Amino acid sequence: MRVGLLILLLLAGCSGSVTEPVSYFAIETPRPFGYVIGDEIAQRIVIETRSGIALQTSSLPARGQINRWLNLTQINVKQQGEQTVINLRYQIFYAPLEVKMLSLPGFTLQFAQGDNTLSKDVPDWSFTVAPLRELAVRKNEQHEYMRPDVRPPFLSGSAAQMGLWGSFLVSVLLGVYLAYLYGYFPQSRRRVFKQALKQLAKLSEGDMAQALTIAHKAFNKLNSRPLFQHQLADFYRSHTEYQRINQLLDWFFDYSYHYFFSGKQAVMPEHLQKIRELLEQCRKIERGAL
Amino acid sequence: MSFKTLQHSLIWTALVLSIGGLLFNTGALLSVHNDNELINQLASGKDVDVSKVISGKPELRLARALYLKQKHRYDEALSTLSLIMEQGDQAFRAKVRYNLGNLYLEQAMNHVETMKMNEALPLVDLAKQAYRQALALDSQDWDSKYNLEVAMRLLPEMDRINSGNEDDPKKQATQLWTTVPGFPRGLP
Repeated sequence: MRVGLLILLLLAGCSGSVTEPVSYFAIETPRPFGYVIGDEIAQRIVIETRSGIALQTSSLPARGQINRWLNLTQINVKQQGEQTVINLRYQIFYAPLEVKMLSLPGFTLQFAQGDNTLSKDVPDWSFTVAPLRELAVRKNEQHEYMRPDVRPPFLSGSAAQMGLWGSFLVSVLLGVYLAYLYGYFPQSRRRVFKQALKQLAKLSEGDMAQALTIAHKAFNKLNSRPLFQHQLADFYRSHTEYQRINQLLDWFFDYSYHYFFSGKQAVMPEHLQKIRELLEQCRKIERGAL
Repeated sequence: MSFKTLQHSLIWTALVLSIGGLLFNTGALLSVHNDNELINQLASGKDVDVSKVISGKPELRLARALYLKQKHRYDEALSTLSLIMEQGDQAFRAKVRYNLGNLYLEQAMNHVETMKMNEALPLVDLAKQAYRQALALDSQDWDSKYNLEVAMRLLPEMDRINSGNEDDPKKQATQLWTTVPGFPRGLP
């Protein structure tokens, strides 16, 4: 009894789809009716084979004109493991006078396994094609009715329009930012040295006290409180960019101290020039150019 | 050059570039507007300065070819279309071929009307070829389908050797076929 059962199981294991060289073969086609001239028909062939069996692509129909009214426009073979999917796209150029049945021609697929070959037939596939025009000739004023020429398409300006808006936006943003840097906005802290330079431009070397006061006021405004020489280290910590001109600043505060408090400071034309230079450097820092 | 100076220079450079872009795009938009005006003018049956068409986009040539065809200047229309056969995207190339097919078919019909069949036959063949090419590029173009059918009726393709099943696809691949001119007049 047990031996009989074992033999039965062995026989079952030896038969069935596992030993079939082509275990799955399906042809997927669309609706077989309602086609007109110029239509495309897609045909999909799905094949599953035993491992080691390869499709011979030379057995596929060649791309191009198959017959007077049929073109094969696309062949696409995808191999995924043991599954092969063949996508074919036909285009029909048949002008029937009435609904007519036509066939996509079949072909034989060849598979190779070592020296052996095996084949699988793809049968003809029938479908109907219908006319677009009535049988009776329809005429317009001159001759037979035909569809008119296509009007030339208008050029699209959307890319240029998008580019225009994009560059306009970027230009405005950059312009506004530069205006801010250059202190063109009222109440901007970036106007401090701009205004100081404007006031300084009107002064001569005889107005040294006024020139020093203008510069001090500018530094005080920037520092939000009076700035003295001994506070310069703190000032540099909160305004690090002014560290670059520390020598000029040290000179200015020294000069100012001696001018106002020692009374021994001689006034030379180059001193006013140096103050102007200091404020110009500060102006550059203010607008982010230094 | 410090980082701040570099940053400042970069901002200025970016501003100059964006203003350049602004000017360029304004010019491009203006050019598109002018070209569309020319297309409109040609479509309404008025000729335009040929130099503008020559230096312009292929759409302008298509418009001029249509204008020339409307004026029955078929040879000029044909040479204008032949210059833009390979230009533009797939949809545009399909349109060019469709209008080319119409150009041939209209001339063929004129010849048929005057019973000049010898002149009409090659033109119908050329029209069919152009419509087929248009459909290969755009299989959903109903106007190409319709006019190809008009051309097919005008000059049906038939198998020389009729072995019982005239549309047997396997046999047709190796058989010769011929064409028969004339309108199937159909029902009264």
